[in-house]
Amino acid sequence: MPKSIWNGTISFGLAHVPIKLYSATESKTVHFHEVHVSDGARIEHKRICSKENKEVPYKEVVKGYEIKPDEYVVLEKDEIKAAAGARGKVIEIEDFVPEGQIDPIFLEKTYYVGCRDDAEAYRVFVAALERTKRVGIGRFTFHDREYLAAVRALDRVLTLHTMRFHDEVVPAGDLDVPKPGKRPSKREVDMAGQLVKSLHRKFDPTDYEDTYREAVLELIKRKAKGEDVAPTEPEPEEETPDLAAALQASLGKAS
Amino acid sequence: MPRTLWNGSLSFGLVNVPVSLTSAARDLDLHFRQLHGKDGAPIEQRRFCSKEDVEVEWEEVARGFDLDGKQVLLTDLELASVQPRKTRTIDIEAFVDMSEVDPIYFDHPWFLLPFGDSEGTLRAYRLLVEVMESTDEAALGRFVMRTKEYLALVRPRDGLLSLTTLLFHDEVRATDDIAPGGRRPAKKKVDQAVAVIEALATDWDPERYKDCYRERLTRVIKAKQKGETVKAPAEPKQPKPAPDLMEALEETLARMGSGSGSGNGAGKRKRKAAAR
Repeated sequence: MPKSIWNGTISFGLAHVPIKLYSATESKTVHFHEVHVSDGARIEHKRICSKENKEVPYKEVVKGYEIKPDEYVVLEKDEIKAAAGARGKVIEIEDFVPEGQIDPIFLEKTYYVGCRDDAEAYRVFVAALERTKRVGIGRFTFHDREYLAAVRALDRVLTLHTMRFHDEVVPAGDLDVPKPGKRPSKREVDMAGQLVKSLHRKFDPTDYEDTYREAVLELIKRKAKGEDVAPTEPEPEEETPDLAAALQASLGKAS
Repeated sequence: MPRTLWNGSLSFGLVNVPVSLTSAARDLDLHFRQLHGKDGAPIEQRRFCSKEDVEVEWEEVARGFDLDGKQVLLTDLELASVQPRKTRTIDIEAFVDMSEVDPIYFDHPWFLLPFGDSEGTLRAYRLLVEVMESTDEAALGRFVMRTKEYLALVRPRDGLLSLTTLLFHDEVRATDDIAPGGRRPAKKKVDQAVAVIEALATDWDPERYKDCYRERLTRVIKAKQKGETVKAPAEPKQPKPAPDLMEALEETLARMGSGSGSGNGAGKRKRKAAAR
């Protein structure tokens, strides 16, 4: 059983579902530590006061918000807590929206929601979400910060996604993208459509392994054996000179 | 214009479109700097050798990996050698139904923009947008950015192409340990819960939700700037689960029905629900 990271309650209407949160994802990126080249010793990061040029113990560190260059407003932990709000350990669902309406661009990090004590309330909530095909939208405070969250049912389990606020998503209109002088021809669109069809596949996440992660681990093993590893510099590809011809050739290749 | 973080090309069959990546999300969080409480001076993170206890310049730092207790050192150049040959290309390997890709795999959202303004590039880019807008399919491909390979999903968004990096399957945990076992809940209880959900049902409108935390934090900073003191709120208690779920659900529906509504907008929603 993984370790829970938060205990709380989901409330909708007057009903309360006691829950626990678990991380749903874990990065498998190969991480390195910093090493001093000359003696192979680990590098430590130290907090140094820029005025005194001395190390600062953690308890002497405060948080400052820069209002002008080099001018800070200092906030105590309690003051940041005050901003976090008085929600306590409750995820209060404000609305239930249709599953398909939320563009995944709003979703940030995913957690699994497990039940605490009252498994029945949990199962009733999951079953009701599944039947209505709706997602609960609510807010909660986690580590002294308030989040917007989406709660949905997935394979008889609740998942919680923290969400971006609307002004944190860049609208396409903010980007100045020039239009081509001539739109693609019907023939080009048709050929591209055929190419899409010929490349159609059922999505199975296990078809895709992180080959880069494997290559890095392989490199580490080779280096450990004392082998030389030579770097290479890749080049980007050029744009396609004749779009219709390239599509035609791709279709020939795909079929 | 937002910052470009990567440029390369998107390859679709034998068609190559020069593209650049720019983030589709912006961080509006208020960020703090660590200060030394005593003198208000900013704190700097500096690197020290754990053996010699002297400061180390960035140039003297290598990447170390612990392989079965033995330390292996790699330089950035050596690490670059394992990047796949066509590393500056997002190779579209397949088209998949969007509905088959659970958002749990979604990592970071980007916009994929045409790079340069030559007619050939813009037309090929437009072609991809138009073709994908006509289906519910998204393109699946791989590319390397900085020192990591990504699986990515490309789909249209408001007339442009968006790209979402995806987690690999082994980066998403199994749910086996999470699901509570036990019998299926009684139909009557689920019916009541469904009724509450329907009463709170609305369409998704992201603008309904403001970042109150950001607003409150801004107020706290302003108050502090004027020399006011700000108190932390008392820790609220965790609500006890209702002794009877059925009663709680019924009570919720009764209150909503009587219009004395708990929570916001209950009255408005009642009208909406009645209209359906």
